[in-house]
Amino acid sequence: MAPTPPTDDQLNTLIVAQLASLGIDLDQLPAGTVADPVTGSPGRDSVLASLRSFMRSTVPALAGYQMPTPDAGDPATAMALSQQPAPMLYPSISTEWRKP
Amino acid sequence: MTDVQQPLDRLIDRRAFLARTAALATAATVGTVALPGLAGIASAAPSPASGPAVKFNPELDKGAAYNKPRESVMSDPTEWTLSEAAWMIRHNKIVPVELVQAYLDRIAAYDSTYQAFNLVTAEAALKAARQWANRPYRGPLHGIPLAIKDNYFTEGVLTTASSYLFQDFVPPYDATSVAKLTVQGGIVLGKTQMGPLATSRATLPNGQVTTINAWTPIDPSTNPGGSSTGTATAVAGRMATSGIGTQTGGSITAPSNAQNLTGIKPTMGRVSLAGIIPLTYSRDHPGPLARDAKDAAIMLMAMAGPDPADPRSQGLPPVPNLINAATPRYEGGNLRMRWKTRIGVLPGYADGTSETALARQAFLAKMAAIPECELVEVPLPDEWDLLTGSAFNNVRLPERSEPFMPYLRDDLRGFGVSVTSWLQGCLLDANGYVTGQRAKLLLLERILDQIFGSCDVVVQTGPVPFDIVGLPEIAFPIGFTGGGVPIGTILGGLPYAEDRLLSVVAAYQAVSDWHWQRPPNPPAAASAAARSAAAVPDRGRLTAEEVAELTQ
Repeated sequence: MAPTPPTDDQLNTLIVAQLASLGIDLDQLPAGTVADPVTGSPGRDSVLASLRSFMRSTVPALAGYQMPTPDAGDPATAMALSQQPAPMLYPSISTEWRKP
Repeated sequence: MTDVQQPLDRLIDRRAFLARTAALATAATVGTVALPGLAGIASAAPSPASGPAVKFNPELDKGAAYNKPRESVMSDPTEWTLSEAAWMIRHNKIVPVELVQAYLDRIAAYDSTYQAFNLVTAEAALKAARQWANRPYRGPLHGIPLAIKDNYFTEGVLTTASSYLFQDFVPPYDATSVAKLTVQGGIVLGKTQMGPLATSRATLPNGQVTTINAWTPIDPSTNPGGSSTGTATAVAGRMATSGIGTQTGGSITAPSNAQNLTGIKPTMGRVSLAGIIPLTYSRDHPGPLARDAKDAAIMLMAMAGPDPADPRSQGLPPVPNLINAATPRYEGGNLRMRWKTRIGVLPGYADGTSETALARQAFLAKMAAIPECELVEVPLPDEWDLLTGSAFNNVRLPERSEPFMPYLRDDLRGFGVSVTSWLQGCLLDANGYVTGQRAKLLLLERILDQIFGSCDVVVQTGPVPFDIVGLPEIAFPIGFTGGGVPIGTILGGLPYAEDRLLSVVAAYQAVSDWHWQRPPNPPAAASAAARSAAAVPDRGRLTAEEVAELTQ
């Protein structure tokens, strides 16, 4: 059974805690939704809304992506994906470097 | 059998290794022994205080680099292309200081309206111009005034990347690209406005819009393209002969298309990123924004090549002569493609009756009429929308936040209007990041197989897919809207196919004249108003939400 998606409050707690664990204090931003008049930095609530959207879209989309089955094999046997291509930071460069 | 395979450590030439070690020890003691190979590495490796070691490249000085100015623009040096200005300097028809002064005069007259520069190094430029007049000739960049995006390090000159974080940063050395351009004779006219930390169109760090599209001087709302906006406006507005920018998600191609320029984003690694304030280290690409294919080729050829300071640039194919590639080929007076070329046309590229669609249809028809050019329909690779869409594009974000962690901890307001994507980068988990890296290779291999299996270059409907995988793209003008705003298009190529891309655009520019068009000067009233701070109309301010939307 799929887990229950997190609520806004739960995501807020997660986001604030994750940033705090990195040493980042979201309270540095102005409270509410109004941007800082001098620096243009967005209000804390606006940023949290944007970050919640990110957590609900990008994070699960990437986590849920199923790499294609190698050589069109049986998808059931490829669930572990143990033979995927190695990750590449610079695919165009690696193409040149992988030439025999 | 007598041979038993030796382990690898037995296959290394230990004697040569020991000999080199001994020689190094001697050199360290005596301090005067030159060591071929080793000495070169030592001298070329930059220290943070000394900057890159670059050399004059005589390959730039080819006959094809020089074009006599068109009669119609002979009287105005700021109308000349780089190759035309180079012809005039080479033939002693003008000296560099006159060329620099012509541009400084235009900057004085119009940059209060355009706001293309955030810093003009007028005195240093004139001094350099006088010096180059008395030095051995260096090729087509000798004495050529250039605009430099403000995320390239410039020795002793403020480099802000339009950010509070770097507002007082004065680099102790030039970025490799800047050093390469200036060692060839290029002259830095100044630093150009950009989107904060290379996000969005050019604004102040707080989102206040600065630079306008040179084609619409009385309408600041017309998108000038970002984030290399200032360089584009400087070149389009005839305030620099050519210029350089960077691209992570369309920041060279978009302003080039918006302002009737030819800009090339080379393959990842083709140009060193050393000395450039990073946005996304696996996707940042330095490149020129120029007036036509020939100018772009001269600039790129000067910038390209391996750099000991950037491992991404090493172990790649040698740089071919891009200037020759960007020279139209004629046989018996008839234009032909330099190389037989199949142009791939993606589904929907020229569909419809919009101004852009009509311009694209006309562009394709022009190309199809050139001998040895063939149009072929190509499919979108499997899962194209997914693998090039928002989620997979966002894989770049941790690369953005990780180098900036000290700043993120110190004061989030230092990021101004562009803070959101840095915070997003802190939230993407490593699992998703690795998946994204795998997907980039999958996307590249599908592009190579499913698109380039049947064509040599391919039209693009947006820059992001080829930015994700590091493939080269060239942007160039193909028409205008009814309102007089430029329409451009983008071609993408195989890895290290900058020569092919330039050859295609050179052929197109031989049968079209869009690239010769120049925007009219700003009306006197607009310039006068801009000079009076009190009278400057508010150009608007991008919000953090808008910047997040625009950021690539």
